[in-house]
Amino acid sequence: MQVNRALEQHIAVFGESGSGKTVMISSFYGATQEPQYLQKSLFHVVADEIGQGNRLHRNYLGMRDSARLPSPTRFSATSYSFSVRLKDGVEGKAIKARPFDALRLVWHDYPGEWFEEDVSGLGEATRKIDTFKSLLASDVALLLVDGQRLLDNAGKEERYLKSLMANFRNGFLSLKDELLDDGKPLIEFPRIWIMALSKSDLLPNLDVFNFRDLLIEKSGDDINELREVLAGLVEANDALSVGEDFVLLSSAKFGTDKIEVAKRVGLELILPITAMLPFERHVRWAQAKQLPGKVAQNLLGGAVALAAILIGRKVKLPGPIAAIMAAVGPNLLDEAVKMAGDKLREVNSAAISKHDYMTATLTRFRMDLDKGEEEHVLLRSRR
Amino acid sequence: MTFIWATRGLIWGFRFLRDGGCEEPLRAYDDSFSELWDESEVCRRLSGKVALRFPDPLGRRDRAGRIIPHDFVVFEPLAHEVESVEDGIRLVWPLVADEFVRVWQLSMPPSPSE
Repeated sequence: MQVNRALEQHIAVFGESGSGKTVMISSFYGATQEPQYLQKSLFHVVADEIGQGNRLHRNYLGMRDSARLPSPTRFSATSYSFSVRLKDGVEGKAIKARPFDALRLVWHDYPGEWFEEDVSGLGEATRKIDTFKSLLASDVALLLVDGQRLLDNAGKEERYLKSLMANFRNGFLSLKDELLDDGKPLIEFPRIWIMALSKSDLLPNLDVFNFRDLLIEKSGDDINELREVLAGLVEANDALSVGEDFVLLSSAKFGTDKIEVAKRVGLELILPITAMLPFERHVRWAQAKQLPGKVAQNLLGGAVALAAILIGRKVKLPGPIAAIMAAVGPNLLDEAVKMAGDKLREVNSAAISKHDYMTATLTRFRMDLDKGEEEHVLLRSRR
Repeated sequence: MTFIWATRGLIWGFRFLRDGGCEEPLRAYDDSFSELWDESEVCRRLSGKVALRFPDPLGRRDRAGRIIPHDFVVFEPLAHEVESVEDGIRLVWPLVADEFVRVWQLSMPPSPSE
């Protein structure tokens, strides 16, 4: 989580070839370009590279208008950077007083087969390592479980799930030496690994609790083994959630001759998940554990900035974490992270009426996470 | 040095099944297909080479249901005869069609010698 006028957060989506990664990012971006979204939202989602934006939008239109799927990703990874640009609201001094005035989401996409099999040359091998270094600098990771493959293995889901988890586990193990400099564990690392059901439209009777239960029942040991491998890559590995959060995703409803892109599940949670889930979790870990200084600094720099905006208090950033904590007071993070229910709605309404769209957007993101849980699409770890 | 061939199977992912004699086929492949990643059919001549892509002529699909594409970088002298996708299917595809029959349903990617 980097803060430099823009709060930049990265999401890594891990999934096998054909599990829906490129479809998902195309559907996410394309939907934000629809007139209804532009009208009702307090912000615009803008691709930082026009060419990338056009490519994703074209993919989306191909699905929406011609039932055409995006081309599969070949031999290279792409990092898509999106700026969340707030509509005009407060100006001048009020903006300068904020720790940041924009949000940025960086979404890493890569060829799924890079985790499943050897690459076919030295050039591709180098790309693969570079890509996974980028992926592992993310704030949040999604591990995709392919709904189609669950359906193909109905009644014997463990066959697919065990092979999927083994692929993830072995993929990370085989890269370990190259990902760690001098064997040192990583400080910057996705500490929240969410199990995500892609193509969830194919399993309409499965809610997020059923999905969790299925994974735990059929592949609980494999998830634990994956957690151990990931824990071996990261410093302060108590501050790590693997397979404790769950989400259902569907990029569209796919028919034989049409793709209904308006029928989506969970994609509206991507921005709230990347912006707010690390905030909530990092604060909780910091409160519960003695984190080494560098880890605390890495985790809490963005959290303090976010808390300041949620609460509406001025803070000066950046600085050593102890100094920040002293400056903002011990209650700021606690107050911000516990803000929920009526209080959250109250702050959100007040921010909208004051045209403070940053606070309104971030409080809305938290409300969206709560709504996702109420609708049994999202399940957050309570740890 | 006749051509580079990149494709995928039912289960295994994209890889080079022919390297055209290049030590690093990825570089020549990238140069030839730059800006053409989303096109389902391609025939573009550049620097004496032809970037050629077409969907599997028998409509074979991968596990996710996507029609498998075949990507070639065709070098001279064969490139001299390839002016269109149709030329590519007529002249280049027969050179690999039998090989693809043998390998496309394998559970693991074929080694270069297969």
